[in-house]
Amino acid sequence: MTPRLFQRTASAVLVVLITVSVLFPLAWMAIAGFKGRNEVLRSPFQFFPDMWRFDNYVDIARDPEFTRAMGVTFAGALIFTALSLVVNSLAAYAFARLEFRGKRFWWVYCVMPMFIPMMAILLTSFMVVTKLGMLNTMAVLIIPGVASGAQMFFIRQFYLGFPVAVEEAAMIDGASRWQIFLKLFLPQSAAPFVVMGIASYLAFWNAYVWPILTITDPNLTQIMQFLGTFRSARGNDWGMLMAGSTLASLPTILLLLVFQRFIVNGVRISGIK
Amino acid sequence: MALTPTLAPGPQTADAGRSARGRRGRVKTPPHRRDNRTAYLMIAPMVILLGIFVMWPLVYSVYLSTYEINFYRGSTFVGLQFYRYVLESPDFWHSIVVGLYYSALTVPAMIIIALLLASFIKTLSRRAAAFMKTTVYLPTVVSTVVASVLFVLIYQDEGVANWLLSLISFGPVNWLNDPQLALPAIAVPGIWLGFGLTTLILLAALLDIPESYYEQAALDGAGFFARLWYVTLPLLKNVLLYLFVTGFTLAIQMIDLPLIMTNGGPSEATNTPNLYIFNTFRDVTPYATSYSLTASLLLFVVIGAISAVVFRLVRSDKAIDG
Repeated sequence: MTPRLFQRTASAVLVVLITVSVLFPLAWMAIAGFKGRNEVLRSPFQFFPDMWRFDNYVDIARDPEFTRAMGVTFAGALIFTALSLVVNSLAAYAFARLEFRGKRFWWVYCVMPMFIPMMAILLTSFMVVTKLGMLNTMAVLIIPGVASGAQMFFIRQFYLGFPVAVEEAAMIDGASRWQIFLKLFLPQSAAPFVVMGIASYLAFWNAYVWPILTITDPNLTQIMQFLGTFRSARGNDWGMLMAGSTLASLPTILLLLVFQRFIVNGVRISGIK
Repeated sequence: MALTPTLAPGPQTADAGRSARGRRGRVKTPPHRRDNRTAYLMIAPMVILLGIFVMWPLVYSVYLSTYEINFYRGSTFVGLQFYRYVLESPDFWHSIVVGLYYSALTVPAMIIIALLLASFIKTLSRRAAAFMKTTVYLPTVVSTVVASVLFVLIYQDEGVANWLLSLISFGPVNWLNDPQLALPAIAVPGIWLGFGLTTLILLAALLDIPESYYEQAALDGAGFFARLWYVTLPLLKNVLLYLFVTGFTLAIQMIDLPLIMTNGGPSEATNTPNLYIFNTFRDVTPYATSYSLTASLLLFVVIGAISAVVFRLVRSDKAIDG
């Protein structure tokens, strides 16, 4: 074997090995969903089921509590993502392009929350939303997290890189700042919006601690809340729990596969160096 | 508040210098060029939302931590009493130790794995690299809850972990019920969930190192490890420190994994700071609210102090220009 051929074979073997070990837990989860109630944790260990049964997947997909949780969370995640992109990109544009009194102060004010640990405000946020009568509504899940310093910062970095010349031409033609934002900046924001939109979507979809604190209404149970309390609520039906976990992970995995190249590039735009 | 800060740009962002220059240059902007009204309208939604759901709760936390809240008798001002209680509580310090131990178990391992993977991915062809990037990132989008549930199963007596041990005729081990093993066992899904993004960031940084440096080093007879040690690591210093700081602040705040997998047990071995605070808040004793608020603020101070020290170290030593 020539050294070059050897190197390529070694690379290929490594690729397969890494892929298998990284994806093993996920594959095992999906496959455990096909196993019977007592088969998931059976000794000796078996990767594949004796018989592929679809009952778990069918049962959980028909379970009204599960489908409702999926639907409610999905709707919430979409609204949350859209709202946070609007709110944060508006502020990002103002900080990137406009001059105004107190800009420095408001800049620090908007970026500082990035450094406040969630726990330091979790308890008092809970008291605030209780006072506002927001408990057990969709609003309590969506609104508190919409404004995000990290997201605003990221989009602003991107806007700073836009050429000023086009904008000045538009200003001379009498366009207002709002028109410039809507007609020049927004149409070109696909890349940062996809990256930040996915981050928002994932944060909402995967949220656990905030929902278990603020939601007790079964009609609004979030998907991770459903899965996290599945064991205490329904006993150890592992096969079904694995089927549910697999289905609950599918939307995020699909999202990643569709927008995969944006994420990889997004890491570069963010300019962490 | 639910947003992960991991994608947030670090202190060394490419545009930071330019914006600072721009700001200084624009100080003398004539008043008619200012857009106060438009700007205030544009930042208003963000400013108001942050005010209600971040700033006010923070101020309120600080305020309440100086009161003893009693739902029956009204609140009384107690000054810094609760700070003393928390600081004197062995449970609080124990949870900090658990948090530091968890960070020590996850962050270095994550960065080393990510560095190795990133160096490997860099050598691959375009298509293979794209495939690997997606693979590596996949666990990151899986929720902590799903990972917790999944690893609880993996760690059962009849689970995969014990089956792998039995292959080398060992075990079975009671992973999550052994105080010695429980935290390392929780660290594994922690690493699994976090190393993807770390790898992508390191890969982006690696690709920014000019190939000529490596060619030169190779001409000088440097092998793989020599190149890693003398070329790659010094040039990645800033990224690595950034990853250490963000990794640490996230790791010490870990709550979901131990909440679902062990709920702090066995014998408090996995009671991370946030889990400890969360559980004291749900406690029914009258002091619990103020106590947990105070503990959360002190945790903020601990994290802030450690991060500040590390960032100071970064700043004090300028990067070598790539």
